[in-house]
Amino acid sequence: MSQPSDTPNLADRMPLWLMVLTCIGLTVWVLAAAFPFFWMTLISFRLPVDAFSVPPKLIAPFTAEHYWQLWVGDRFWLKFLNSTIITVGVLVISLTIGCLAAYALARYGGALGFWLLLVALIFRALPHVTLLPSYKFAFFELGLWNRYETLIVILVAINQPFTIWMLRSFFMNIPKELDEAALVDGCSRIQAFVKVILPVMWPGIITTGLFSFLLAYNDFLISSQMMNADKMTMTSALSAYMNADDDAFKLMQGVAGAVSITAPLVVLVLFFQKQLVSGLTQGAVKG
Amino acid sequence: MPFRTFLGFVLPSAVAMLMLIALPLAGVVYLSLWNSYTKTNFVETTVRTPVGTRVERRPVAELDAAGNPVIVREWYGSRNFETVLGTANLAEAWERDRTVAAGGQPASAWQRFRALFRDVTNVKFWGALEFTLLYTAVTTPIILALGFLIALGVNSVVRELKGVLIFASLLPFIVTPVVGSLSIKWLFLDNAIITVWLEQLGFGKIYFMQNAFTTRLLIILVGIWKATPFVFIVLYAGLQTVPSETREAAIIDGANRWQTIRYVIIPHLMPLFVFVTLIHLMDAYRVFEPILVFSGGQGADSLQHLTYKILSDEQNFHKASAAALLMVLGILVLLIPLIIKTYKDQRRAFA
Repeated sequence: MSQPSDTPNLADRMPLWLMVLTCIGLTVWVLAAAFPFFWMTLISFRLPVDAFSVPPKLIAPFTAEHYWQLWVGDRFWLKFLNSTIITVGVLVISLTIGCLAAYALARYGGALGFWLLLVALIFRALPHVTLLPSYKFAFFELGLWNRYETLIVILVAINQPFTIWMLRSFFMNIPKELDEAALVDGCSRIQAFVKVILPVMWPGIITTGLFSFLLAYNDFLISSQMMNADKMTMTSALSAYMNADDDAFKLMQGVAGAVSITAPLVVLVLFFQKQLVSGLTQGAVKG
Repeated sequence: MPFRTFLGFVLPSAVAMLMLIALPLAGVVYLSLWNSYTKTNFVETTVRTPVGTRVERRPVAELDAAGNPVIVREWYGSRNFETVLGTANLAEAWERDRTVAAGGQPASAWQRFRALFRDVTNVKFWGALEFTLLYTAVTTPIILALGFLIALGVNSVVRELKGVLIFASLLPFIVTPVVGSLSIKWLFLDNAIITVWLEQLGFGKIYFMQNAFTTRLLIILVGIWKATPFVFIVLYAGLQTVPSETREAAIIDGANRWQTIRYVIIPHLMPLFVFVTLIHLMDAYRVFEPILVFSGGQGADSLQHLTYKILSDEQNFHKASAAALLMVLGILVLLIPLIIKTYKDQRRAFA
């Protein structure tokens, strides 16, 4: 990734027309990528008649009515609380057991480790809906349906294959000599892991944590089937507003809900852009 | 690391995967072979109406001693799979006479094929498979080309703009998929901004949500919008690793810009192209949220959405299991090259 700053840049030799074309192309891309968010946020503060007006207006009277209706009237704050509980629970458990497993997989050379990784890879590729009939059936029969613990445990398990693969690639970059030195100094394996390895693993843990967070926070498929009424997460609660195209006020509450869900994610990208990019390229560039 | 220590470290994660992935997978196989229903009996009741009395037969769930409804489980064998695949409809469609076209003329081979194709895709499963494959086939080349172009473009602009470009690109990628799809849908509603703009530009009023073609177009558009950033970021990172000596050597040898890209950069990035293609094929195969938001399965369906609907609307665990397993068959085909590659890579690491 690192590159000396004196490397000849393609821009140095670019003819003018290509430079102009590149700039136009990139501007179009940035607009395409960001405009839906910009517009959604803008119209969420308008009355329906201004939000979907002909012709579209850039400036219209401000109202926070939809947010008030949604958060207080429809008790969206409860869904926010649910999402927080689920996301934090998944994040903590997933990273804890994932770190332990990934560390062992990075340091153990036996056949079992190899097969575990291979099976995890296959699990990672399974579409989530594949497991859903079993979850719904079993947790219904067991009387554990519609509970925080159930959804957390399911999301943790589904998240594991990805988590251990990613964390393992970070652990592989930490030299083995580091643990060996700690072991020679009289640490047990677990002490070496906690006191020596974890402190240098933070970048990897944060990056993996971001993706675990996104998986739990963004999930619709499983959450919407495993939780009901007051236990719903924000994302699955949105389905109530999704097909309300003929009820303008309901639709606008949906827009406000979508903006509410997006806001934490935008903050996340602002703060962790570097880690997100490194996580995306981790699997690819390092192989 | 000794085996016992390894086992201790791996145990929690392995148990989680065993109990909540491997076991449910076996459960789905089991469920798909059975059917279950609440046992009901018809009870005759006399209903008094303004014009006299009438006897009605109403289904009433039979209760056991504890007062719970009696559930009957029945061995179904392959019948759930046959229902999902619509084998009866397929057989009928195959037999149907299509030798005469609409106008009374003898139908051409192409017309006969089209008619057969329409009959087959009218069966929900095959319709969902058709759109899933169409979606995959259309989005894959577009996101590869677009992502590569953006990566090249970003690589050549001044450093100060890169942060903004990457920030904007990350948004569609990380946003909640349902929200991302909705944010695009709200641009294309009948009175929404883009529909109005298109009308003002003289394209006429397009009712995007009312017809299958435009719905499909929008679903594919959302797919491209969401997946392009991933391709761009991976390829952009790859561009930073192209050795400058190789590039300089190519320039000194007289290669122009296009030739440098064609013969130096693309070969260097080839493994990354393969990687993002594999990931996207898997993602595209399980496309779900855009379908849910845009069509709800009308006019455009996907395998994952179809299975979800069977589960959420029909509440039929058994049929949903069969559909889910049929979906897994497809993912196995996609997975084989990836498994072989990983097998080779990791064998080396573990040897």
